[in-house]
Amino acid sequence: MAESAAGQAAEKTTLRVEDIHKSFGSLEVLKGLSLDAGDGDVIALIGSSGSGKSTFLRCINLLEIPDAGRVYLRGELIEMTKTKQGETRPADRKQVDRIRSRLGMVFQSFNLWSHMTILQNVMEGPVHVLARSKPEAKDQAMALLDKVGIADKAGAYPSHLSGGQQQRAAIARALAMDPDVMLFDEPTSALDPELVGEVLRVMRQLAEEGRTMIVVTHEMGFARDVASHVIFLHEGRVEEEGAPDAMFGNAQSPRFRQFLATTRN
Amino acid sequence: MAEERAPSLLESITEFSENASPLDFMVILEHWDLFAEGLWMTTNLVVLALLIGGCLSIPLAVARANRTPILNQIIWGYVYVFRGTPLLVQLYLIYYGLGQFEAVRDSILWPVLRDPWWCALIAFTLNTAAYTTEIFRGSIEAVPFGEVEAAKACGMPRLKRLQRVILPSAFRRSLPAYSNEVIFMLHGSVVASTVTIVDILGAGRELNAKYYLAYEGFIAAAVLYMILVYFISRGFKFWEKKWFAHLRPREDAEAEAKQPGAAAPQTALVR
Repeated sequence: MAESAAGQAAEKTTLRVEDIHKSFGSLEVLKGLSLDAGDGDVIALIGSSGSGKSTFLRCINLLEIPDAGRVYLRGELIEMTKTKQGETRPADRKQVDRIRSRLGMVFQSFNLWSHMTILQNVMEGPVHVLARSKPEAKDQAMALLDKVGIADKAGAYPSHLSGGQQQRAAIARALAMDPDVMLFDEPTSALDPELVGEVLRVMRQLAEEGRTMIVVTHEMGFARDVASHVIFLHEGRVEEEGAPDAMFGNAQSPRFRQFLATTRN
Repeated sequence: MAEERAPSLLESITEFSENASPLDFMVILEHWDLFAEGLWMTTNLVVLALLIGGCLSIPLAVARANRTPILNQIIWGYVYVFRGTPLLVQLYLIYYGLGQFEAVRDSILWPVLRDPWWCALIAFTLNTAAYTTEIFRGSIEAVPFGEVEAAKACGMPRLKRLQRVILPSAFRRSLPAYSNEVIFMLHGSVVASTVTIVDILGAGRELNAKYYLAYEGFIAAAVLYMILVYFISRGFKFWEKKWFAHLRPREDAEAEAKQPGAAAPQTALVR
């Protein structure tokens, strides 16, 4: 990706993340990570566990507060400030909430609201964050549930669904906010092997529709076939990145080659 | 020739009640208004204390669960004092204790604080609020962290998260423990009868004092408490059914379970 003046590039890119640093105690987990996502880009973040890929993703919507770095969504910088103790904090909670509502997040463990039905889960954000009317939100929610193939489960509670169905409901919940970017945090890692396919199919469909997606994943097949850009992280740094064909066909970094060898079965 | 008049039905029942029955139930019936008054007194004291105490306990529990600096410690102290001492002692301290201070007697609060009803209501409210704070605090802390993160991630502001995700989830989890608290509060409310209030037990005591009939008064009181508890537990059962729908097995799972060899439905939380 060509380097250019930050401000200008940020105007054009959908999501721009610059130089994220994050430490937990004395352990530095992220050592200056950046990424750029244009409209319709699908960026796969891969790496062995502990490489910092999930933490990096969680820094984008501030579920983890990075110690340093900048996040721009459609050119808008999330303002950060320092407390007296030197901790980094968002300067404006309202801005953070607004930005988060435009970054749909799908979690490894689904995190559906267990006391609400699937339909209520999907309607919740539009009604209570975006202040849409209930009938409108319901129509949209039903259409989304239909799209992910679980319209017949609208009235069921999350605990009544299989993992794959729950994750598809969680994707529908994130889509209901009509986000600029979708963040996926290992969306298939908690699923039984036979349920992985149904979730990947939905994600593949979203990519084909031109959704901008950042996907932390262990599914190398998905990264290779669906991603437009692959980033391999190692110990909090970008070890190698590029187009999937080049990455998987002709890996430069020995670490990445080794990683590929261990993940290939 | 003295006319032998056949005894009326009422007379024969009274005769039976006074001489043959181990319990003179006619005395209870004659004083039904006393017990009705006691029932009303107990109900309104307990319901008001639970309502006010319940409302108080929500912000207290949230502050405790969030570990809000200073507030957390103060609330911890309050809860410790009110859970650490008997309700009877709390009531005596408020009713008899506060009146010793001239400043209290001269204050505009005196008309309230010299009234046993108000003193009982204050003691009950503070007591139930302390217990309920701990119940709610525990269930707020038990709300799955991922569900809170999901609410954050979709841009819900802090208060909305509390209102839409954390509290609804926590209240559901609190229900079984809270139904116990309601019953304990009802039974604890008998201490009101020691500060001249005629509640259910007070009515029983009055009967005992008037006629020296201990059984009649206290058994009538016991039965009234049992009736109240019956309705309370029925109410909570209904509430649990409504609120715990997400924990019930699916309808089709139930049907499957009836077939031999099928997995048993998970009914742990639905009795």
